[in-house]
Amino acid sequence: MEEFTIPRSMATELIEHAQAEYPKECCGILAGPPGDPQKLFRLTNTDPDPVMRYNADPRELKRVYDAVYEHDDWEILSIYHSHTHSPAFPSPTDVERAFHPDAVYVLVSLADRASPALRAFRILDGRIEELPVVQSEEVKG
Amino acid sequence: MTIEVRVPTILRKHTQGAKAVSGAGSTVREVLSDLESRHPGITGAVVTENGDLHRFINMYLNDEDIRFLGSLETPVSDGDILSILPAVAGGR
Repeated sequence: MEEFTIPRSMATELIEHAQAEYPKECCGILAGPPGDPQKLFRLTNTDPDPVMRYNADPRELKRVYDAVYEHDDWEILSIYHSHTHSPAFPSPTDVERAFHPDAVYVLVSLADRASPALRAFRILDGRIEELPVVQSEEVKG
Repeated sequence: MTIEVRVPTILRKHTQGAKAVSGAGSTVREVLSDLESRHPGITGAVVTENGDLHRFINMYLNDEDIRFLGSLETPVSDGDILSILPAVAGGR
């Protein structure tokens, strides 16, 4: 079964981003060689209703894609966002707007802020498949 | 003129898997129309029935978001690169 591996420090950073934006939803991208996230890019949520939805700033998004394009073996591995009042599971809106079939969708729930939940999913053709999350100790490099 | 068009994964089913294709025209809309003739379905995925850029599609001429230029009527020049990136979006 496919797993989603993320360095523990990156998972921590991702949760910190979610906490910093609370009660708004945060969003961002993890990039690196396949199966090896090496960089976290925070993106600005420009949705007019950021507590309920996210839409990453298009100009920032282009800069991230360009940065990834510069590395021959890097890909957009994951798109993350937070749910501030609901579980870490893709909502109907998340499924409808899952335009990146090659990315793993990572969700952080702050429904219990003291105990954030982090889960990972593939969303393909409207179907949701959860991937076990493996937190590794170090960035492989 | 002919320019390079970079195609996101979700649209590569229309380009036989190609990451980049060539399109000819003097505006973004004309380039998309030219693409449609060789890669049927691609334009319908990025332009609405009313002829507007789809809300959840970002398109960039070189580094600039075409929404800040002339949207689909933005003129293109030889050597330009048109990048299509679906939005990173969702919600609870």
